[in-house]
Amino acid sequence: MVLEVSVILRIIGSALLCLGAFAALVSAIGFHRFKNFYLRLHAATIGSIWGSVYPLVGAALLATTVEELGVYRWFVAGASIVAAFIVLILAPAGSHALARGVHKARVARVKPCIADKLDPELCG
Amino acid sequence: MLTELILVVMFIYVIAILLLSIIALKGPTIGDQVLAIDVLTYISLVLFTLLSIYLKQPLLIVLVIPLALWVYSLDIYIAKYLERGDLGA
Repeated sequence: MVLEVSVILRIIGSALLCLGAFAALVSAIGFHRFKNFYLRLHAATIGSIWGSVYPLVGAALLATTVEELGVYRWFVAGASIVAAFIVLILAPAGSHALARGVHKARVARVKPCIADKLDPELCG
Repeated sequence: MLTELILVVMFIYVIAILLLSIIALKGPTIGDQVLAIDVLTYISLVLFTLLSIYLKQPLLIVLVIPLALWVYSLDIYIAKYLERGDLGA
C-alpha cells in the first residue's frame, strides 16, 4: 500500500488538533485553579500557544486534504497559517504589556509571596 | 472519520470557552478578566476555522485574522489605561 501525501497530512493535522484540544481544556481549568493574576499568566500562555497556534497549523494541514472545499481549501489553509503567525507574534507581547500595566497600577497583589523587588508593598 | 474528530475537538473547545467565560464575567480583578477574554478569543479562532472546514464554507475563515488583531489592541488599550490613567490618544 502506497502512503499518500494527503493521508500523512491528515494524520499530522489530527494529532495537532487533539493536542490543542487537550491544552485548551488544561488552560481553562488552570484559570480556575491558580491563586492570583501573575500565576494565571502561565495558564494564558498554555491557552494561546499550545491551544491556538498548533491547532491552527493542524487545521491548515487538514484543510488542504478536504476535497469538498474546492479551490478555496488553499484559501482556508493560508488564512489559518497567517492567523497562527499573528497569534504567535502578538499573544506574548499583549500579555507582557498587560502584566506590566497591572503591576504598575497595583491592581492585583502578589498573594503567596516570596519576594517582589519591583514593588515591595505589593508583597503579601 | 474526519468529521467525527472535528466534532469531538469542537465540543472540547466549547467546554473550554464556557469555563473561561466564567472568569471573563466575574474574575477577581480587571487583569484576570482581560486575560480570560484574550485566551477565549484565541481559542475561538480555532473553533471558527474548524467550523469553516466542517460546514464547507470558506468565507467563515475571513473573520479569524481581524479577531486576532482586535484582541491585541484590547490588551494594549487596557494596559495603557491602567498605567497612565487615560488612553493618551
